[in-house]
Amino acid sequence: MSFLQEIRKNKYLYLLALPGFAFLIVFAYVPLSGHLIAFKKYRLADGLWGSKFVGFDNFKFFFMSADWYKVTFNTAFINGLFLVFGLGIALLLALFLNEIRHALFKRLAQSFIFMPYFISWLVVSMMAFAFLNTTDGIVNRTLEAYGMEKINWYLKADVWPAILTVIYVWKFAGYYSIIFLAAITGISGEYYESARIDGATRFQQIVHITLPLIRSVAIVLGLLGVGRIFYGDFGMIYGIIGDNSALYPTTDVIDTYTYRALRVLSDFSKSSAVILYQSIMGLITIVVFNQIAKKIDKDSGLF
Amino acid sequence: MTTRVKEDKSILERSFIIGIYAFVALFALLCIVPFWLVVINSFAAESAIKIHGMQLFPKEFSLYAYEYTMAGKQIMSSYMVTITVTVAGTCLALLITSMYAYVLAHPKVKYRRILSFMTYFTMVFGAGLVGFYILIASTLGLKDTIWALILPYLLNPFFAFIMVSFFRTLPYEINEAATIDGANDLSIFFRIILPISKPVIATVGLFYALQYWNDYFLALLFIDNHNLHPLQIMIRQIISNVNISSYVGGSTNYAQAVPTYGVQLATVCLTIGPIIFLYPFIQKFFVKGITIGALKG
Repeated sequence: MSFLQEIRKNKYLYLLALPGFAFLIVFAYVPLSGHLIAFKKYRLADGLWGSKFVGFDNFKFFFMSADWYKVTFNTAFINGLFLVFGLGIALLLALFLNEIRHALFKRLAQSFIFMPYFISWLVVSMMAFAFLNTTDGIVNRTLEAYGMEKINWYLKADVWPAILTVIYVWKFAGYYSIIFLAAITGISGEYYESARIDGATRFQQIVHITLPLIRSVAIVLGLLGVGRIFYGDFGMIYGIIGDNSALYPTTDVIDTYTYRALRVLSDFSKSSAVILYQSIMGLITIVVFNQIAKKIDKDSGLF
Repeated sequence: MTTRVKEDKSILERSFIIGIYAFVALFALLCIVPFWLVVINSFAAESAIKIHGMQLFPKEFSLYAYEYTMAGKQIMSSYMVTITVTVAGTCLALLITSMYAYVLAHPKVKYRRILSFMTYFTMVFGAGLVGFYILIASTLGLKDTIWALILPYLLNPFFAFIMVSFFRTLPYEINEAATIDGANDLSIFFRIILPISKPVIATVGLFYALQYWNDYFLALLFIDNHNLHPLQIMIRQIISNVNISSYVGGSTNYAQAVPTYGVQLATVCLTIGPIIFLYPFIQKFFVKGITIGALKG
């Protein structure tokens, strides 16, 4: 059947898809042309097509500077911390929640743990400020009460990967534990029944039944995270760190770097080159790790 | 049998269980302490915060921060922007996403695989900030308009795929029966499919609503006019020490000091207030959505 015949035959269905399709073209495919700017010396007046072609110059500048290594390392390092601690603690929580028999306690605990997922990064930033602000933050006031020196957190770059990890775990532990819990609930009760008859303790049941059976879920979540390791969470990092340049050495990720190049320096070409570098790295890791995920669990591959 | 097993519980087993309860209780507590801290201190007297710092149990209370914030024009205008964007955005996004997802899930559609791939591709290889910025700011000329806050999120591929997986579970016989009765695909979708898809629509709708309510990225990029500042940007402005008395536009009594902390905390509470109130009712929809989403990869 030809293209036109198919469209005519299901004209109402294609009509239903039209707004969504048009959206994808305009908001996802047309802007792909922005990647061309990476190879041009972009000037607003000349526009995308009129600007001068400069080959790989923009990339050369980026890779010659120390920034290249710094932002790539920060992005992968911070995401790595998020992945290990985020998934690790969520898994622990899910295992523990599953052992809790007291229904009300369980429901309340779950509600509390899931709550941080619902608030914006700027609200989180305000909460962090209430804890860490130098003069009136609760942490420094507590330190002071015990006769210790106040610490100027917002100038101490080296502690921020750890602080961001704590914040990430706080916000997403509930989210990931829901996924793990769903996998755990899917395990047949018969396994536990027969283990109990054989006299296995709860701890032994966790280690020998639950963990092996949700292994593939954990691995897939991990691989999906690794696949996005070069994408920093702009909303989070910029929401919390903002324009505090004292913290850039450890917290400046590719996404905040390109944002500044665009909005502060108005250097469209540099920003675009770094974004293209990120997109290609991202595409490669996602394809590679998707293949690995498929090998481990046939149904978990995305394409 | 079961009673014998229960009696066998050793001290080790008992302490393991107590340890589990303690860990979960502690973690749950740590999750809500920051909420408590901002809410209770928003009611604390500014002078008390200045003297004692932020406290878990402040001793002096005052409503002045709320009076000051509410007296200004900015909070009302920011509320209006956020509500408009959330309501209009969620409705439009649901309409577009459900129509699109229905077609992706429809076995009669020959090109549904190509459409699925095109949708999926945008998740793995995006345009990036520069292309996106040029599109909204110059090609479409949406800077400083409310559309810049609504349009970019109308179709989220991830939410679309959650809907696709739901539509696939609907029996195809519904479709055949309706076709025999002379209904075309449009009326099948709007009269039959949508009404029986309420659960997934509620779930995805809440995800969209949360995204619109909490987003500050679009406003950060495209909105300079403070009349169009959503609540999230209002928080950002207040944190980054702009002139609060002129921005919030509260008290005209200049002799009165601006309660800086108070305004920050009160604005945060006014922003998360609706979410906290709705939380007990909406939580289960999110749990369901995350579970479906995870199962689909």
